[in-house]
Amino acid sequence: MALVGNIRDFSLSDFLSLVDRGYKTGALHLSHNDQTARLYFEKGKLLLAARRPEDEKPELLVRLGVLNADQVAQACKALTARGNGVTLSQVVLDAGMVSLERLQGALMSHTEQSVYGLFAWPEGDFLFEHNQRPAPDAPLAPVPISIDHLIMEGVRRIDEWERIRDRIPSTDLVPRFMAPPGEKLKGMRLAPEEWKVFARINGRDTLAEIAQKTGLSDFDVCRAVYGFLTAGMLELVKRQRALNAGMPPVEQPRVKKSLVNRIINRIRSM
Amino acid sequence: MQTVKMVISGAVNAGKTEFIKTISEIEVVSTERRATDDTRLIKKETTVAMDFGRIAISDDLVLHLFGTPGQKRFDFMWEILAEGMLGLVILVDSTRPETFRETNRIIDFFVSYRDTPYVIAANKQDRPNAWSPEELRLALRQPPHIKVLPCTATDRESVKNVLLELLYVIQERSED
Repeated sequence: MALVGNIRDFSLSDFLSLVDRGYKTGALHLSHNDQTARLYFEKGKLLLAARRPEDEKPELLVRLGVLNADQVAQACKALTARGNGVTLSQVVLDAGMVSLERLQGALMSHTEQSVYGLFAWPEGDFLFEHNQRPAPDAPLAPVPISIDHLIMEGVRRIDEWERIRDRIPSTDLVPRFMAPPGEKLKGMRLAPEEWKVFARINGRDTLAEIAQKTGLSDFDVCRAVYGFLTAGMLELVKRQRALNAGMPPVEQPRVKKSLVNRIINRIRSM
Repeated sequence: MQTVKMVISGAVNAGKTEFIKTISEIEVVSTERRATDDTRLIKKETTVAMDFGRIAISDDLVLHLFGTPGQKRFDFMWEILAEGMLGLVILVDSTRPETFRETNRIIDFFVSYRDTPYVIAANKQDRPNAWSPEELRLALRQPPHIKVLPCTATDRESVKNVLLELLYVIQERSED
């Protein structure tokens, strides 16, 4: 079943985060006024972002200055001859037309710029089609692109409190790492302000205190923390709970097993 | 007579009233009024106080089901309802991603201060374009140990299943 919605309600950053954590494979179709875009993912990583149909064609490699028109024609011919699931990028690399670094660099930069532009859309319908794959001759990044830093980039462009308040209702909350952040950080490129905030997160200080200690505004601190939250690195807890780190929150009154069993039996018999 | 309480919560139009109606043995006491704010766009009437249903477990034990008011301005009721509850069902309209943020806010309210046993019921799974329970888990950022269950609030077996799954969570934490 396709996932449908609007990025006004479920932001593109949130959706990218869902794709990342769910290791999703498929195509995300976006439309806003008369603009459209299509993003292809494989196991939670980005293969291609197309802002127009031509971006999914082999000629993109000519536009990006990676190959000339003759080389593209030659690669397409070889692709047809080889068939069986080989991608255009593989053919180009196997033929030694370009180095992996050059091809990856050009396609990655193009893909990232395409996605950055989408973050400016205030709203737009989305539809995610599971397991939809690009055409064999589409110019895919040879190494699928990690989307953690794209999520952070999307968050950097948020300029309204409203969206941030949905996830961070108060600056009295304490940010706390859910697990050692090392692995997640590898794919990220943090801005200096984000590093400042990151370095101040100790599981005890509130967002307001971090703002005070870093000299950043509440908004800047909350925006950075919003990014870390969206990337799945942090959780926010209330002060009291943070002080009781390791202790469970206020316990519910314990109920007797026999009482629960009686309710279970009754519901089963209904 | 001992009474125990379960709370059914969720955003506006998540299906709380329907959920309780489907399983309650008494006609649900519901204070529905004509909606006067933006909820009017979603349905003509919405719950402004709360729903109340009841299931007799035995001669000396009764289970009460309370549906929380959906709108933000009735937050104060949540605190009252949460006191002493056995467990919590969070209903989500699986077809409306625009309610996921509000659902997270509700989960946060009920769960952050208390160690509340809860399950999430992915309602309206019978509708086209319903997000699957696993997709909802990701969208709502719920950890793997929290049960996210498929649900159709108008279907008695489906509602029973959600309540039973919640009871199994409560059972694990209960004392001999």
